[in-house]
Amino acid sequence: MEQFLQAAVIGISLGAQYALLALGFTLIFGILGVVNFAHGGFYMIGGYVAYSCVGLLGLPYPLAVLIAVAATAALGWVFELFLLERLIDDHLATLMLTLGLYLIVSNGLLRVFGPLSMEFSFPVSGSIQFGPIYVPRENLIVLGICLSAILALWLVLFRTDLGRALRALADDRQVAMAQGMRPKLLFPAAFALATGLAGLTGALVTPILALSPGVGDPVLATSFLTVILGGLGSLGGAALAAFIVGIVEAYSSVYFGGSIGALVLFTLVLLLLVFRPTGLLGREIRGA
Amino acid sequence: MKTSVTLLAAAFSLAATVAAQAQDCTAKVGAMGPMSGGAAQWGLAMAGAAELAAAEVNATGGVTINGKKCKIVVVSYDSKYTADGAAAGANALASEGIKIIIGPVGSPEATGIKPVAARNEQLTWNAAYAKNALEAKYPLVFHIAPGPGTWSDAMVKHALKHFPQIKSVALVAPNDQGGTDIASVDAVAYRNNGVKATEEYYQRGTTNFAPIITRLLATNPDAVDTASSPPGDAGVIVKQLRLAGFKGPIGRMGGPGTEEILRVSGGMDVLKDFYWFETVAVTDQMREIDNIYRKLLGKEPVGGTALWGNLPAARMTMKAIVNAGTVEDAAKVAAELRKLPVEDPNMGKGLWAGQKQYGINQELFFAFGVGIIKDGKEVGIARIEPTN
Repeated sequence: MEQFLQAAVIGISLGAQYALLALGFTLIFGILGVVNFAHGGFYMIGGYVAYSCVGLLGLPYPLAVLIAVAATAALGWVFELFLLERLIDDHLATLMLTLGLYLIVSNGLLRVFGPLSMEFSFPVSGSIQFGPIYVPRENLIVLGICLSAILALWLVLFRTDLGRALRALADDRQVAMAQGMRPKLLFPAAFALATGLAGLTGALVTPILALSPGVGDPVLATSFLTVILGGLGSLGGAALAAFIVGIVEAYSSVYFGGSIGALVLFTLVLLLLVFRPTGLLGREIRGA
Repeated sequence: MKTSVTLLAAAFSLAATVAAQAQDCTAKVGAMGPMSGGAAQWGLAMAGAAELAAAEVNATGGVTINGKKCKIVVVSYDSKYTADGAAAGANALASEGIKIIIGPVGSPEATGIKPVAARNEQLTWNAAYAKNALEAKYPLVFHIAPGPGTWSDAMVKHALKHFPQIKSVALVAPNDQGGTDIASVDAVAYRNNGVKATEEYYQRGTTNFAPIITRLLATNPDAVDTASSPPGDAGVIVKQLRLAGFKGPIGRMGGPGTEEILRVSGGMDVLKDFYWFETVAVTDQMREIDNIYRKLLGKEPVGGTALWGNLPAARMTMKAIVNAGTVEDAAKVAAELRKLPVEDPNMGKGLWAGQKQYGINQELFFAFGVGIIKDGKEVGIARIEPTN
């Protein structure tokens, strides 16, 4: 029973982190039609910006997180506006551009910060004990911020004009443009929103785990897996799938071990795609 | 007058040509290992050892090849702790005509490089703890230090002296050869010393170990051993173990990396009680290596004791190259290497070993250390002498 409850706590915590990453990833695909292979790169930049603010400039951690979000959002905005936008309808070109950006980011960070892990710890430490269950305080804080960020994103997308415009572009770009939506303004904004989310996750999660060049690789894999499970382009699907992935990963690793746990997760995704190729909440054809 | 000027010009031209030839003559040697990711420290330590050994030879004028003094240049390759990375690295270095490689590091890399390097007629070293780190059918492969089969028993005995409360241990390591070959041998050593041992393996690339830690703590171990987990992974494991309420000693009967583990986990207060295998028994003479490194290479050394442990292999290889007068004939360099006594200006004297375990006597065996941290304070590193 202890293990069961502990696995649930871990699964929800993992799910919230994966949701932030997957929402950004699927947002870009849903609105721009771009598979962003640089998503893990923005996660790493978020971590390194926060580390630099705290470790080198001596800024308080909450401010460092905000700066990391602003920096990754700004970088995403610039990248979309000046590079991606020119080739936005060429799927192969955008794929190569984002992959290239990821390689530049990871090698750039390697050159600047070196290959070893940074000494970067979350400012709050220790665990809260509920009987036999340990919940690290830092995980609780990150969970709270992740859930707040998901709620804020939902409000932006479903309760603001910007969100309506972005969703209109995602539904049918031609019709949305005929209604006066301007992709040249909205696409960079959507990309910045998504990369800001990746940066936020990086700034929050890397001090809990580790920060070194290369920590973006598994982020990309997890984000991809989650959005495919949820249905590429579906925001609700990505959020649902993120929690499923987190919980399946936690329970399968706890009960079957680290090796078989990974196998269980991928088998589940494979089976789901056989029976439901569009993912949990995905549509058959993208409108954009 | 005209003749004198012509002669002078010819002399200058000849001198310039000779100087240019001496400058142009470079002898390339490879260095290989993971230089990014969780095990980067080990690969950089390998490259650092190769660069330092080459710099020492260059400081004395270089190596004479075909009557010309040549400067040794080290070409590094990031084999990413994977078999395919090391195999690709052997081919990439071969395409530059490189026949001598200091590296790779880990077991997957050692397994991957052996057949490819044999085909390319390249001499390689590895620091792997794999059960097949050396094989008689690959005579151009040398081993930097013995694996856990040689030192794990002495290591467990020493750890139990400091932490007698250990009656059970959970070993955690990656699920590839770099993990299983080491953790399984460590587990036998624990069992032979009356400690109940369980093994837990994870997918390499795992970033969050919380579920695995929940699983292994369910067995209520007195100690957890991170075996050959990369130092970055081991740091996260230590951090999450402590957050999960684990208060027992944490061991590391695998590769070096205590500095990195300290950095990632959050320091001595988090690590608390820790015992680890140290590839070298640290002395002041070894610490001097870092000063030599700074002086000759003008930068800070990376890799800590791993660099010191790799250095004798790199230095002996350079000596063999000097004696053989070639970097292109790996068999000739290997023959010279086998003739050399195992000794190093900083490490002292060691032994050629490996015959008993691998059937080939091409392993360097120096004194090794067992480090202990108790209640967040370093107790010291005990020296254990090599025996055949």
